[in-house]
Amino acid sequence: MEWYVHISGPADLEREPLLDSVAPLESSAMLDPLVRLAAQVIAREFGAVRFTGCVFGNEFCEHLLPQPAALEAAFGEARRLGLGFTFLTPYVSNAGLARLRVLLGRIEDTEVVFNDWGVLNLLRREFPRLTPVEGRLLNKSLRDPRIMGVYGETQAASGAAAATLAALRRSSVDSKSYTALLERFGVRAVEMDSLPQGMDLSFADRVRLSVYLPFGFISTSRVCMAAGLGYRKPDKFQPGAPCRHECQTHLVEYTYTNSPFANRDQKFYLKGNTYFYAHTEPMLTALMQEARLGRIARLVFQPRLPMVMS
Amino acid sequence: MKILAPVRELDELEMLVAAGAEELFCGIVPREWLERYTGAIWLNRRGAKGGSLETWDDLRRLVAAAHDAKLPVFVTLNAPYYTAEQLPLVLDLARRMSEEAGADALIVTDINLLARLSEENLSAKLHVSSVAATLNSEAIRFLMNFGPSRVILPRSLTLAEIGDIVRDAGGDIEIEVFMLNDGCAFEEGFCATTHHHSVGAFCTNLSEMQAEFEWHAPRFTSRRRNWLRRNLADYRRWVWYLNGSGCGATPRGLPYGPCGLCAVPDLLRIGVDSLKIVGREASAFKKMASVRMVRDIVDRARGGTPRLQVIERARALREEPEHCDSGYMCYYKVSAV
Repeated sequence: MEWYVHISGPADLEREPLLDSVAPLESSAMLDPLVRLAAQVIAREFGAVRFTGCVFGNEFCEHLLPQPAALEAAFGEARRLGLGFTFLTPYVSNAGLARLRVLLGRIEDTEVVFNDWGVLNLLRREFPRLTPVEGRLLNKSLRDPRIMGVYGETQAASGAAAATLAALRRSSVDSKSYTALLERFGVRAVEMDSLPQGMDLSFADRVRLSVYLPFGFISTSRVCMAAGLGYRKPDKFQPGAPCRHECQTHLVEYTYTNSPFANRDQKFYLKGNTYFYAHTEPMLTALMQEARLGRIARLVFQPRLPMVMS
Repeated sequence: MKILAPVRELDELEMLVAAGAEELFCGIVPREWLERYTGAIWLNRRGAKGGSLETWDDLRRLVAAAHDAKLPVFVTLNAPYYTAEQLPLVLDLARRMSEEAGADALIVTDINLLARLSEENLSAKLHVSSVAATLNSEAIRFLMNFGPSRVILPRSLTLAEIGDIVRDAGGDIEIEVFMLNDGCAFEEGFCATTHHHSVGAFCTNLSEMQAEFEWHAPRFTSRRRNWLRRNLADYRRWVWYLNGSGCGATPRGLPYGPCGLCAVPDLLRIGVDSLKIVGREASAFKKMASVRMVRDIVDRARGGTPRLQVIERARALREEPEHCDSGYMCYYKVSAV
């Protein structure tokens, strides 16, 4: 199994590509304990992890697409160090697609994660030397941390409840016809989040699987609360509106104080246009067990919320 | 450009036709699905009760009566995905919707289901749901591999973006857009949450949660904290509008909620094929009132009424100018010049 790390730029590669070196990259006091917990569980299960590759880019916002020079710098440094390189791309409008076309022309013979069928079409037609990987936004599964963890813990394993839980632990990639469809379009690898309700990875013998930790996405939007900071009240919250990357200035932590269940201390994190959950220790441990069983081809450690301006 | 209305039962049909609906869509959650998955996993993005038909007989009679009135009926199979275990049942349901019930189109999100149905040679056409998050022209080119006759664009596209997509599609596929009622704070196809009754919608749920800010730039002053707090309050107000302004109605009973009426002249000029009124689960009165409002504006636009007069009429129909002025109730920003 491979270990990759999500970098924000070549400066992150100045450190030794070791778990102990990159875990402190998160500067947020809210998030630091979550990243450290993940690093501890990884170290407990796998010892001193050395990353053999890096991911760069973001999956959630076309306004955070890097400048071509930044992409070239990250790609070049990874190559120089002999590290694998994967470029993450978000869902995009036509305008974002035009910017992405320029970026894709700056890299070659490497992986590109697509989270938009239009991006896959572009990759296949114009960039055959890039290897498409289906991103976690297109790998569909319910991962609502408000309730899915509760399902995972409390549903009786009998009858319809068992069928429900079994279905919730699967994703769109579960079907043989789906992985065959991906193969038809040249896609042999998929990415996903670790699910609060647990995961059934029985499909993993048909496709290479990457899983991210310690943050999973809940929901994302073309309307960005942070971008609203730059507008007059009536002009706020317009889809795709230009921004000044206000998302980079702050983080919002929500506490599920209005839960109908016992999880009233559960936290959700909003960075820019996307909400995330953090993996709990049981989720991390379960993920490590799946990795040990050989069902995961790559674990991607994200020392920061994946909304960094590159 | 057609007006697409939601329908839940045969009793609503006559009223919707009289109000001006030109196409219909509905869902069915048959017994065989409920027995297997209870209400926790939704077949078509609505719960089993209140938003969907429940029996095949109901669907057959609805489609037959709609066809008598010269209206096509589209049926939703628009869950974001179906697992391997669910897929045979879903394919069987699709065949029955098309061949037994006579549905004119199936509304599909899951790319795997779309591909499988494209090989079935069903009588029903295939429409790609807004949940598939078709945000650019290249995505439509990809979808054309599976022969859909229509793509429903997400709410989050601007008029300019819709115009580009329609132009690039070049008439090879119909384009449907949202016109009235429910909003969604997120990109619907990239929201991994449930609206299950025990927790409700995540976006509205968030508005009631405790929120704390952490500042990542130099100097988190009280002024900056207040700036963030005001913006959060504005955002929560925007979500309130998306949720039908608290699910309210005007004194005459007309529904509040996200609205694209002012954009009808632009959408007609752009060449959009269908305007979707959301709300399978809404009351019959809300559906009828919604269709009437849209029909009023569409008729004026079709009849050549000047654009600004149409916009003026649309604002008058909503009856609450302060809601229109908020800027938060509009699907599309239109230029009032």
